[in-house]
Amino acid sequence: MIKNHLKPLRGERGWSQSTLGDHLGVSRQTINAIEAGRYDPSLPLAFKISRLFNLPIESIFEDGESHLLPISLNTYPCGKAPIR
Amino acid sequence: MTPEQATYRYFKVFVPAQCVYAAGSIGITWVGENSNLSSTVLYTLAFVPIVAIFVTFWAHWRFATEIDEFLQLIQLKGTLFGIACVMVVASGWGTLEMLADAPRLSVFWLLPIFWIAQSVATAFISKREGVF
Repeated sequence: MIKNHLKPLRGERGWSQSTLGDHLGVSRQTINAIEAGRYDPSLPLAFKISRLFNLPIESIFEDGESHLLPISLNTYPCGKAPIR
Repeated sequence: MTPEQATYRYFKVFVPAQCVYAAGSIGITWVGENSNLSSTVLYTLAFVPIVAIFVTFWAHWRFATEIDEFLQLIQLKGTLFGIACVMVVASGWGTLEMLADAPRLSVFWLLPIFWIAQSVATAFISKREGVF
């Protein structure tokens, strides 16, 4: 399961779960399940949440990886990008 | 559309369709046993509950498309459990009929088994997921 900071973000704005659900077009039950970590939202819903709070997705959701490698290092596991 | 609105729309079709299904099934069975109608007429009348079954599934499909992704997942899990129960009963009892001369089980009962299993599973999963 992916951890998330939805509850504090919602709390900062003083929104109820129903209000946040209305903003996102989902039910209160869905917001409750996401906040409780029982359900990981789909990518389209994660993007909606990101846009609503005006934050990048990775600052709202955490998959447990502490950092992301630059794409060239991810692509080439030896850590060396080809010389152009 | 809110889940409450979708549920209301669903039951507005589901309840009358199930009444037609039950009345149609009982009525046609009674007519078949107590009248001399031709088999063509009986086959035609039998389409009444069949159409009711189709309408019920259509309403359920519409309901599942009107709710959000988390509630859809619960419906999907419940439906899979219902299908699994039907398959286990149908194949299991079929095997017993074939190999152990078990009494015949009418396939009529597969639909009630599906709805009961699906409803119980959906209620159980909803409770576990904190939906109500």
